[in-house]
Amino acid sequence: MRIAAHGARLGAHPLANGALTGVCLVLCFVGCFQEPDTLPPVQDDLGRTVYLGVTPQRIVSLAPSVTELIYASGAGSKLVGVTTADDYPPEVLTLSRFSALPVDFEAILALDPDLVLASDQINSPNDAATLAAVGIPVFFVSVSQLEDVTRVIRILGTLLGSESYANQSADSLTQSIDSLRVLTRRTTPRPRTLFLISDLTLYSFGHGSYMHEVIEIAGGLSITADMTTRAPVLTDEFVLTQQPDVILGTFGPDFEPADLLTTHPAWDVLNAVVSEQVYAVNGDLFLRPGPRLIDGTWQLARTLHPELLP
Amino acid sequence: MKAWYGLLCVLLVASVAVATALGNTVSMADVGHVIWYHITLGQTTAPDLVAERIVWQLRLPRAILAMVVGGGLAVVGAAMQALVRNPLAEPYILGISSGASAGASLFFLGLLPPLISKGLSMPLAAFAGGLVAITIVYAVAGGHSRLSVARLLLAGVAVAALMASVTSFITLSSPEPDKLRAVLFWLMGSLHNATWAVLPWPAVVTLAGLGVLLILSRSLDAMLLGEESAHNLGVRVEFIKKLLIVLAALVTGSIVAASGAIGFVGLIVPHAVRMVTGVTHRRLLPACFMTGALFLLWADLAARLLLPGEQLPVGIVTALCGVPFFLILLRRTSYGFGG
Repeated sequence: MRIAAHGARLGAHPLANGALTGVCLVLCFVGCFQEPDTLPPVQDDLGRTVYLGVTPQRIVSLAPSVTELIYASGAGSKLVGVTTADDYPPEVLTLSRFSALPVDFEAILALDPDLVLASDQINSPNDAATLAAVGIPVFFVSVSQLEDVTRVIRILGTLLGSESYANQSADSLTQSIDSLRVLTRRTTPRPRTLFLISDLTLYSFGHGSYMHEVIEIAGGLSITADMTTRAPVLTDEFVLTQQPDVILGTFGPDFEPADLLTTHPAWDVLNAVVSEQVYAVNGDLFLRPGPRLIDGTWQLARTLHPELLP
Repeated sequence: MKAWYGLLCVLLVASVAVATALGNTVSMADVGHVIWYHITLGQTTAPDLVAERIVWQLRLPRAILAMVVGGGLAVVGAAMQALVRNPLAEPYILGISSGASAGASLFFLGLLPPLISKGLSMPLAAFAGGLVAITIVYAVAGGHSRLSVARLLLAGVAVAALMASVTSFITLSSPEPDKLRAVLFWLMGSLHNATWAVLPWPAVVTLAGLGVLLILSRSLDAMLLGEESAHNLGVRVEFIKKLLIVLAALVTGSIVAASGAIGFVGLIVPHAVRMVTGVTHRRLLPACFMTGALFLLWADLAARLLLPGEQLPVGIVTALCGVPFFLILLRRTSYGFGG
């Protein structure tokens, strides 16, 4: 909801329309007046050097999470195309859509973008090389930790000429997460929490994932934080010995907690199952590392600590 | 020979014990307690509940499924090799596994209606897929006066590729990402879905298949001499061939529905066993079953223990351990096959 409200404000914002004004403002802010076609090269999150020339006016996003980050940075109106997997914010439904896996290069070329934005978790640098070969620069963003959300929003603001909006947006997200942190800081007990991406095959978040911090801020303790791989497929045995108090998963809308016992009959002795703490959550909030991750963290906190957050 | 069977039996029992006991989560004492509790039919003090679930509901059915799958694939491999009189034949190479995978994923992704119950429909879909694949392969290769081995293997490779693309297509076009991930993992061959409820169907079909093949063992021996000689020896060659194809598709289909496509077991095991037992099927088939069971039991144990707390598809392990072993065997021995 928070982002949608920002989006509504964006339409009336003069910044969003006047690109030249935007560029000037950015340059004023930096404090050195340059010709617009001599923007210095920038480094993206993969360490690639990207030459832009002027502030981009027609941009394309290669991943739903990137689209949401672009909207949060106030540059949503510059988007001319998104992937077929995009569905948020609702404005994207009116944009041109193309297949991202594999990337439909022809569709992207037809949109005539001056910058393509990609996520290092979904998109391949090889695709960027293909686009670069036809003169379209690609900028990669990387959200591997929660703090990367606001960092990337600020970077996108600078890159796309909506710096003040992006900073406001990032500040408000930081504020939101900090206030939740304060609420849950001294909470005990911290329920042992298992977050699953699928109930059939037990995909979960492993080593170095943002999910562990999300769970911690929500007042829980992630039982997969010490896994050695990034995207582990857990054994039933691991889950049984770890004894989660709460099981959350992006199980889809048709999921009934009882289904879990059909696929995993041995789990009838789990604390989470006995005390009926099995929940299906909206995958878009957690599997897209974007601004709505903060909404997801709040939602998780309400699930884990209904006594704190009625 | 009897000593060999005895040894294999002892090894199997010991391996099941090891597979149920090993794992870094439950102490040996707890494992023993759980097993004693079940042996005494619950008349003793109840063990720790978590340990009971792990040992009795996860590890034990998984070990038994590993034996059924490994044994079944090895026996089908041996039968296929007799059918086509070629040591390269096995369910994987002849396209049966790929066909079964295609059939099962069609069902799994909800593109086929559940005919009877879910537990039985998937093996049936896999059986149908496997049967379609092997029938095409056999029709292409055997359409002429003699069965051409080169045509057979090439047709097998081609149909396997065709079925694999069918599987890829239906998997990728699935609207449900959750099921897609599950299918991708299952396709790599994994026993992680083993529960007591999954076991009966593949176990019954595989053991029945082994039984039928044992009854046919004299005919299989004769087939190795060539179809003409077999015919002269009084074997109903055409009937036996058709029966073998349906049997192979049925057993492979049930196995694939339970565990995905696990490659190389059907190829490697019969070869290793033949070196000890010779080619007589009455001796070869039971030894194949036990050795295949043993091999997959240990491969699955490795798949379970390599990454703590995580699953590794056992198909990766069977290929990683099995193929080098197979290559060494090929290099070291002067190897004869049949007739």
